[in-house]
Amino acid sequence: MIVFEDVYFSYGTRSVLKGLTFKVKESERVAILGGSGEGKTTILKLIVGLLKPDSGRILIDGEDITLKEEDELMDIRKKFSIVFQDGALFDSLNVKENVAFCLREYTKMSEEEIEQKVRELLRIVGIEEAIYYMPDELSGGMHRRVAIARSLAVTKPKMFLYDEATTGLDPINAENICQLINELSKDGTGHIIVTHKLVDALRVAERFIFLKDGRIVFDGNIVELKESQYPDLVIFKKELQYVI
Amino acid sequence: MVERIKRLISDLQDFYLLAFNGLMGIFRRPFYLKDTIEQMDYAGAGSLLIVLIVSLFIGMALSLQLSAELASLGLKMYTGKIVGIAVIREVGPVTVALVYCGRVGAGMASELGSMVIGHQIDSLRVFGVDPIKKLVTPRILSSLIILPALTTIGDAIALLGGYYVAVFVSNQSGYVYWSSIRDILDFENVFSGSVKPFIFGFIIATVSCYMGLTTKGGAKGLRRSTTNAVVLSIILIIISDFMLTRILLYVLGFTL
Ligand SMILES: Nc1ncnc2c1ncn2[C@@H]1O[C@H](COP(=O)(O)OP(=O)(O)OP(=O)(O)O)[C@@H](O)[C@H]1O
Ligand SMILES: [Mg+2]
Repeated sequence: MIVFEDVYFSYGTRSVLKGLTFKVKESERVAILGGSGEGKTTILKLIVGLLKPDSGRILIDGEDITLKEEDELMDIRKKFSIVFQDGALFDSLNVKENVAFCLREYTKMSEEEIEQKVRELLRIVGIEEAIYYMPDELSGGMHRRVAIARSLAVTKPKMFLYDEATTGLDPINAENICQLINELSKDGTGHIIVTHKLVDALRVAERFIFLKDGRIVFDGNIVELKESQYPDLVIFKKELQYVI
Repeated sequence: MVERIKRLISDLQDFYLLAFNGLMGIFRRPFYLKDTIEQMDYAGAGSLLIVLIVSLFIGMALSLQLSAELASLGLKMYTGKIVGIAVIREVGPVTVALVYCGRVGAGMASELGSMVIGHQIDSLRVFGVDPIKKLVTPRILSSLIILPALTTIGDAIALLGGYYVAVFVSNQSGYVYWSSIRDILDFENVFSGSVKPFIFGFIIATVSCYMGLTTKGGAKGLRRSTTNAVVLSIILIIISDFMLTRILLYVLGFTL
């Protein structure tokens, strides 16, 4: 359970979130929508404690993470598997080492076991053949997949967080990633996907949160989404009208 | 104005914390041996050639200048002694540190900076890895090992360059040159020369890592932090060199 209680956040003097309050259950499949620069990425970073709010509380399973020190946050972070906007692969390491990063850090697996596990994870995301590529040799879609594989490497997370998992991808790759996201959440694990593409949000989410000027202006399911007449949301929905 | 002073103080505090935790990381688990060795390879093997070239020519130039000046006073036989003292106590450590700063310090800042921009540091933190220990400590440790080593090599090459000029250009006795070098290789000189590279190495590594890790805002931010890393390191090296010299002379009992 993720709870935001009246969270304010600013980067220096630029205030980004102005009083955010919402609850997300572990099994929910949520999309956070909003224009560029509305603070979507910031919300994900707040959830895993990479940033601290100026005021307000953030509770993860009842624990207030705003009071925790960096080393105490570890147990909280283990509950999530987060994929950053641009994949955030370590660009000095090849795909295998990227995926193996946490395995090497936290387990005492032998070289063969690691190789096996990495191949298994890459098979899940469908790019086993890229195992010895360097990050800069990957296409955008492959990049995201490797990032997802890497985030799966350690333990079974309670919830997946995806930042713009499909942005900038061609429709086929976007579709594949959406399928992958649904696949990973099949057993009831929830996810929060941050995006500004309503099309993709509809594929993977059942609850939609719309962010505008640092506040939540819409929070509801697909039916409510269809009915909403909030101006900016209407613009987002327009995208869907153009059917051939 | 008050805002800026406050910011400066909090930046300084962050810097001290990074320097302190980075250094303490050497003694605390987990140890990232592989990263340290990789850094040593990059900093050491990678800088060797340029250190050799720079030191050789500095040694030769120094020897050339001094021979010319001393010859007019009829004191040519002091060339070795003066070149030796200058190189070992002052010129060697400072030049090698400046070369190291331009090559390795800039590299550290830009590498860490691009990791910040690419969210790689965030990834590390999410995976529960302390970026200070994983990235800063290996860089500090490798600088503490490599810079003194490079300085020693640089000193030797500079003296060799000085020898070449003294003997083959200024027609001095090679025996006199080397024996005066041997004379000045006493505890005082060697000690003053070998304390400096440790301090300089620490300064370069911490300043560069700090600048890299505080990078903000894309390619421009990267440029700014790389430049800042080099400029600030150079200034700190030069100033601390003066202060160290003063302290060392005092500690070692020289009178001015
Ligand atoms: N490190 C930072 N320092 C200062 N301002 C920042 C920083 N990161 C983000 N911002 C600002 O905060 C606001 C929200 O950023 P955020 O990255 O959360 O947006 P976003 O909704 O994820 O946008 P996008 O869809 O483009 O990814 C933006 O206006 C941005 O300019
Ligand atoms: Mg974003």
